[in-house]
Amino acid sequence: MKYIIFCFTLLIYSCNSNKGTIKVKGSDTEVNLAVVLAEKFHDKNDSILISVSGGGSGLGIASLLNGTADIANSSRSINDEELQLFKKKNIQLSTFFFAQDAIAFVVSDQLPLDSINTKDLAKILSGDVKNWSSLIKQDIPINIYGRQNNSGTYEFVKKILNIHFSANAKQMNGNAQILESIKADNSGIGYVGAGYVMKGTTNGIKILKIFTVNSKAVSPLDEEKIASGSYFFQRPLFQYYKTQDYQKVKPFLDFEKTMEGLSIIKSSGYYPVKK
Amino acid sequence: MNANKRAITDWIFKQGFKTAGVVTIALLGGIFFMLLYNSISFFIKRSPLDFFTGSNWDPETNYSILPLIVSTAFVAIGSMVIAVPLGILTAAYISEFAPKKLQIILKPIIEMLAAIPSVAIGFLGIVLLGPVISVLFGIQNGLNALNGSILLSVMALPTIITISEDAINAVPKSHREASLALGANKWETLFKVTIPAAVPGLIAAVMLGLGRALGETMTVLMATGNAAAIPKNFLDSVRTITATIAIEMGEVPYQTTHYFALFAIASILFLITLVINLLGEYFANRLRKFHQ
Repeated sequence: MKYIIFCFTLLIYSCNSNKGTIKVKGSDTEVNLAVVLAEKFHDKNDSILISVSGGGSGLGIASLLNGTADIANSSRSINDEELQLFKKKNIQLSTFFFAQDAIAFVVSDQLPLDSINTKDLAKILSGDVKNWSSLIKQDIPINIYGRQNNSGTYEFVKKILNIHFSANAKQMNGNAQILESIKADNSGIGYVGAGYVMKGTTNGIKILKIFTVNSKAVSPLDEEKIASGSYFFQRPLFQYYKTQDYQKVKPFLDFEKTMEGLSIIKSSGYYPVKK
Repeated sequence: MNANKRAITDWIFKQGFKTAGVVTIALLGGIFFMLLYNSISFFIKRSPLDFFTGSNWDPETNYSILPLIVSTAFVAIGSMVIAVPLGILTAAYISEFAPKKLQIILKPIIEMLAAIPSVAIGFLGIVLLGPVISVLFGIQNGLNALNGSILLSVMALPTIITISEDAINAVPKSHREASLALGANKWETLFKVTIPAAVPGLIAAVMLGLGRALGETMTVLMATGNAAAIPKNFLDSVRTITATIAIEMGEVPYQTTHYFALFAIASILFLITLVINLLGEYFANRLRKFHQ
């Protein structure tokens, strides 16, 4: 009998300690970074457990809403429709801006093109321009390789260029598949997280410099330009949490702001936020 | 006493089986009503006319199922064009011509095809079939309807072969004997007597294979490129209903138009598969009658 009571207390105790777990869910862009941060954090505070999972920004926010996550990683800002849902449930949201990401546009290294105007890019991605002939002296059709429309990267490119993607754009399963396709397809153009091309090999692909009407061509690999905010396709990475949970998630958020946290962000292929 | 005990056991088992049956039916009914309820929520927000006639699936602005249905049809019909002749001829070979020893080896091998996980087949589509298609047809990328069709035909083959073989086996021996006695050779007997006699069973095989192809998700998601335009030919990328649901369901904000739209296309897929499976069942039943 005593033994059973002991088991029960253990069970209840383990439930309690379970409350010390911070559940982080969301963006696939951020998931690798969040895992490294969580591991390093756990080395220092082993009283708090952090579980990290991906699935996409939308899933993270939905999980935060229905209570299965404490922090929602999101590579886009929350949209109005989602905000309404939080309001309906009377949940106050707080935002933590913890790193920056840049999106690189890649083409095959056989394509004689080094930089591109955002206007031309918008025309290409929306399907208004279907052939490279207007940009270079080659008459080849353009193949677009993008992410699936559940990806934060997809949403971001769509919003910042203010376009609807061409229905002919292929939707690939991830960054790796996009790069592989670009390597094989000299008429392709695709977009991936800059962190992904920074670490990987760039054999067979070329990262385009981007320029706008009033700025010079900037490469996403130029850290200083990103820090000064002058690359067109850079985006903040957010972590959303319920305001009422602030005390619970604070230790982890604080860790992300330390020198160690910042250096992890940098070495993972992202850009720390300049304050 | 003993008889009483047996009556009680009998009653308990009867109730047990009854509950199992009712639970299954209730579950199916529940799924059906959930689909229906959410679909209705969608059609309250958007007109069904746009849904069925528009030409663009672009969440938040345009919800039209047409490109998805055309894509699904391309992949499913394409896979049947490949799998049906291959499957029926294989079945005919196994049941009519193969020596007993070979039969014993071939049947389990074919059934093993069904055990390959769809992710593995999809992966083959990306790394093996895709590059081959792009070289063969001189196109830039091999992730298209043809790729999906070939992979799905591989996945539908076990179903088609197994059921066709049963159908051909079920043709009474007297038919073949009569044909041979009249002087027809083996091939004439197969093509003019045995296969025509087995047609209801073969249709059932095709329908069930088609049902398999329509519902397959992972393989087509990986291998068809997922471009939501209405495809013009088999070398265009396509995006099936199943892939659309799989891609978007994880991300969609709950209880929004987009969320309901996914239920609406799921209901349509459900209806299509239901009709095809019912047709398959109907022909399979005719086969059973014929068997008696």
